[in-house]
Amino acid sequence: MTSIVDSLVKSFSSFNLDIAVLLPVITLIGGTVIFLIMAVNALIAVYFERKISAFMQDRLGPMEVGIFGFKGGKKFWGGIGQTLADAIKLLVKEDILPNNADKFLMILAPFIIFTGAFLTFIGLPFAQNIVISDFNIGIFYIFAMSSIGVIGVILAGWSSNNKWSLYGSMRAAAQIISYEIPIGLSLLLVVLVAGSLHLGDIVQWQADHRWFIFHSPFTFLAFFIFYISTIAETNRTPFDIPEAESELVAGWMTEYSGFRWALFFLSEYANMLIVSIVASIVFLGGWLSPLQIFNIFPDSWLILDGPAIGLFWVLFKAVILIFIMMWFRWTFPRLRVDQLMYLCWKVFIPFALANLFLVSLWELIF
Amino acid sequence: MSEYFSNIIYGVKSFLTGMKLTLDHFNNKKERVATLQYPHEKWPIPERNIGFDHAEYNLIRSRLHVDIDDCISCMQCEKFCPVDCIKIDFIKPPKDSDVDCGITSNDTQKKMIVSRFTIDMSECMYCNLCVFPCPEECIYMVGGPNAEKHEIDYEFSQYKRDGMIFEFADATDDMIRDAGGEKWLEQRDAKLKKNSEGVELMGIVPEATPVQVAAPVLETGTAAAKPVTAVKPLGGEFDIKSLNGIADKMCRGIAKKAFMAAKRAGKDTTAILADVAQALSDAGKMTEDIQSILDGLSAPSPEAVTPVVETEGATKAESVAEVPPTTEVKEFDIKDLNVIEDKMARGTAKKAFLAAKRSGEDKVEAVRKALGDAGKLDVAAEKLLNSFTSAAAEPSQPTAVEKTAEPTEEAAAESLAASEPAEDLPLFEIAELNGIDDKMTRGMAKKIYMAGKRADKSRTEVIADLRAGLTEAGKLDDATAAILNNLESGN
Repeated sequence: MTSIVDSLVKSFSSFNLDIAVLLPVITLIGGTVIFLIMAVNALIAVYFERKISAFMQDRLGPMEVGIFGFKGGKKFWGGIGQTLADAIKLLVKEDILPNNADKFLMILAPFIIFTGAFLTFIGLPFAQNIVISDFNIGIFYIFAMSSIGVIGVILAGWSSNNKWSLYGSMRAAAQIISYEIPIGLSLLLVVLVAGSLHLGDIVQWQADHRWFIFHSPFTFLAFFIFYISTIAETNRTPFDIPEAESELVAGWMTEYSGFRWALFFLSEYANMLIVSIVASIVFLGGWLSPLQIFNIFPDSWLILDGPAIGLFWVLFKAVILIFIMMWFRWTFPRLRVDQLMYLCWKVFIPFALANLFLVSLWELIF
Repeated sequence: MSEYFSNIIYGVKSFLTGMKLTLDHFNNKKERVATLQYPHEKWPIPERNIGFDHAEYNLIRSRLHVDIDDCISCMQCEKFCPVDCIKIDFIKPPKDSDVDCGITSNDTQKKMIVSRFTIDMSECMYCNLCVFPCPEECIYMVGGPNAEKHEIDYEFSQYKRDGMIFEFADATDDMIRDAGGEKWLEQRDAKLKKNSEGVELMGIVPEATPVQVAAPVLETGTAAAKPVTAVKPLGGEFDIKSLNGIADKMCRGIAKKAFMAAKRAGKDTTAILADVAQALSDAGKMTEDIQSILDGLSAPSPEAVTPVVETEGATKAESVAEVPPTTEVKEFDIKDLNVIEDKMARGTAKKAFLAAKRSGEDKVEAVRKALGDAGKLDVAAEKLLNSFTSAAAEPSQPTAVEKTAEPTEEAAAESLAASEPAEDLPLFEIAELNGIDDKMTRGMAKKIYMAGKRADKSRTEVIADLRAGLTEAGKLDDATAAILNNLESGN
């Protein structure tokens, strides 16, 4: 598995450049790619989120705003320019800092959250060879980086000097830290079976055997524990008690406006994409075609494989998972704080621990 | 422990039930979406049924619509409209031009180009009175029996208030120009420019010569007579209306009489005031109040001039028929007498006007005399006449404003009289012939009228033609003769 950074270094090596000159160039290229992915993802995801929520509530959602006069479908899928218009609006909005806020921390917080999401993308493979930098501890790195965001959340809530913000950030911290345990335990299950932290190796194991979700009843359960816990970690409904617009205005984002708020928004949707891609790589076979789940088709059918098709399969699986996240959001009411904690500590963690034990037995037996 | 697991199982079950429900809504959005994309989609209108036959009753008065291709610009609807919400302008192509104005659906050859046909639906009161007189049935209320002619718009929603003014004329600028309507186009463009300036909130554009316009009023001789009053533009501030401040009716009458007498004698302001005071004390009616009013009048108040200027600027643009209190240079026309409210007085005035015109006398004096004899010379009429005594005869010259500052009453009257006889009465409108009851006679009369109009005949000639033509056909009954007589005398 070669990464984008590796291939860039290789293609630039013919120019005989010093590595000190080459590194900023490669960093810049990689950073631009990540930023583009995040921005485009937010644009598309917000549009579909609004549309899906509208259809589930028997509405139509945005229908009027188009791009250069093209509004999209006439019946249901119109208003394709709405998110772009909203993004432009956010960028030109006044940037408000409250008088009594801790200005330095308040300015810093959105960038910490954004950095957490941004760094995660570095180790996240989109297909076999499409990854910015290939870590041999990839899943550990992603798991670690996606936890950075909670520091920004706490900073944002504290520095705003607003009780709603502080409540929101405290809830967020409690929630994110709690739900990292079932996530970690579920991933540990996969690492235990595959014997590697490297995402390429995990997918290779699935190619050699079968998708992890079908590995055993315990990994099947682990997938749902992982998936629901990631929804809680991305602060989406029904686990959106840190934002809880009906209780806390907007939680830790209350005092933010304009570009800084846009950064929160961007990171939120980037996190959705990250957890969906991780879930699809770790449990759903990554860039493997669904046609070879049980290896029942002859090899000649496996033409739908390879880097380019792999990108499609990863995104396809991720999009389905993102759709399910949105589906969740517009189906369930928000959990109470105690229900949230009950679900994490009394349901997910015992089941994840039991899973870990039982999968070890399963591996010993089979 | 079993409760714990049954809770989990129940949770998963209800979880799936909920997911199924929302997915069902998502998948069946075609049937379920309740949103109506309002400006693009509208609720269907339910059938009306209030127990009448649609064909017989015009139940729905939704909006006025004009089939402009059928409009012959007869102006009937504009005349009948009680709230004046219809405005029609038309251009009559010159005789020798080959402009084709089109043919209506009743096979009537159109003779004019309708350059403007606006209906202000925010003013319309849906009385339907414009619909009945239309000879071509081209103006109608949308809805009811006219449902097949035009669909109903129930909403009347517009983005701006101006949107309620509907323009039906479809003549292009080129067509209007071909028909000889350059002047009309110029006027329209000027008006549009003025409107857009107002819309763009450019503020009030100061008039170029505001004081000059106001100057030539009642006391034209003042400047020469008294150097003290010459400095102040007294004309605008002191007229007979100023005496309305006197509360007692009797006193006011005496004061006004004295005022008029003094003014006719050509006295200046201070002299008039002295006369008024004298008359009042003679009658034993001089009170402190009146004294203070008169004192106030003798003191100059230049501010009083400004509002007059502004209203005048507006009325000048608006209409010709209305005579502003301080008219500057303006021809004395018979139409101007229409402002006189009393019918009898108006008749007397017009008769005197015509007589004076024929004999070449000073029309203003003649009218004044006639009214005075009939005892009808009230304040408004007096003011009107006064406005003309000071008016010079050349309306086209911009310098006339300065000129009028000097001339006395006689000079103005002279110039008026000199210019008058050349002018004949304008040709009356064809609508005036509608008073003729008999259909045949009316048709014949209109035909003769049109022939005369096309030949550019004068009013008297056309009336003579009408008389001759109708007598020949044996249709000249008493009523028709009376109408023609009326027309001849300009009533």
